[in-house]
Amino acid sequence: MPAMSEKKIRPEDDGRDFASAAWSVPSYILSGMILYGGAGWLLSKWTGVIIFTPVGLIIGVILAIYLVYRKYGR
Amino acid sequence: MSTLTLLASGEDKFTPPGLELFESPPIIPGVDWFTKPVLLALLSTLIVVAFCWSAFAKPKLVPRGVQNIGEMGYMFVRDQVARPFLGKDADRWMGLLLSLFLMVWVWNVMGVVPVLQFPVASHIAFPIALAIIVYLLKLYLGIKHQGPIGYFKNMMFPPGLPKPIYLLLGPIEFLSTMIIAPFTHAVRLFANMFAGHIILAFFSLVGFWFLFEKLTPLGAPLGVIGVVMTIAMTGFEMFIQFLQAFLFAMLAAMYIGNSLHSSH
Repeated sequence: MPAMSEKKIRPEDDGRDFASAAWSVPSYILSGMILYGGAGWLLSKWTGVIIFTPVGLIIGVILAIYLVYRKYGR
Repeated sequence: MSTLTLLASGEDKFTPPGLELFESPPIIPGVDWFTKPVLLALLSTLIVVAFCWSAFAKPKLVPRGVQNIGEMGYMFVRDQVARPFLGKDADRWMGLLLSLFLMVWVWNVMGVVPVLQFPVASHIAFPIALAIIVYLLKLYLGIKHQGPIGYFKNMMFPPGLPKPIYLLLGPIEFLSTMIIAPFTHAVRLFANMFAGHIILAFFSLVGFWFLFEKLTPLGAPLGVIGVVMTIAMTGFEMFIQFLQAFLFAMLAAMYIGNSLHSSH
């Protein structure tokens, strides 16, 4: 919360923060894909059901985008 | 031109340039580590030090000459890189951020300086070295300012989310901040410079091959396209060089800022 109030002090930077933070999005999406895609791949290995891998990848991307939205979008 | 001549001669058909562009022999025989990129990196350091020295060593109240240019660079880094992410802490970190920005920019510009023509950052070891410095600084500052537990808690569990969501998002945040972010920090710079260098080499080789080596009526227009594209891509590359230096410093500022204060 203190970070929020500090932001109010410099309204001229509003929006730029968001636009610049967008450059860190790739690392979130990569992380999401590696984590949940990896979990899906393991599930596929164990169960033999191939569909878990792509489903895991997609869930990872969706969660990563949701995380970015919660962090930077207001 | 030596690389181009080497590539173009001997064979009868056009071979596009590849990884051999990035292999450079030792300058002094026997000293294996001292290659062209190392020499250019040292040269870049000298340039940055000399520039900052002449700009900021004896500052005048009314800036003139080099000090003017230096202050333009300083203002740019302060207003576009430091302040958006560091706020009131911006001035304390300007030394590091300005050095990073100038250093990376001069490294990149080496890619289009005639004769030198090699972007230092296209050898991944160089961006990795800088990224590791920023990464260690980020960890140190985070643990110092938020406590060893608080740092990871603030990173993985930002307040204001329903509990089950943390279970899903926490690991992503951890993996991203601890491993993927420093990795992409270095790779983004490396890959841009690497690809840019290959593109420039390719188009200049097309021009050289079809206009000088094998001049034919049908090949000549292709050679002209190669020359025109070389000029156009050089301009574009100069823009990318600046952009990547800016991004590298900006991401460093963002990581430092996130360590100083818990993000949100």
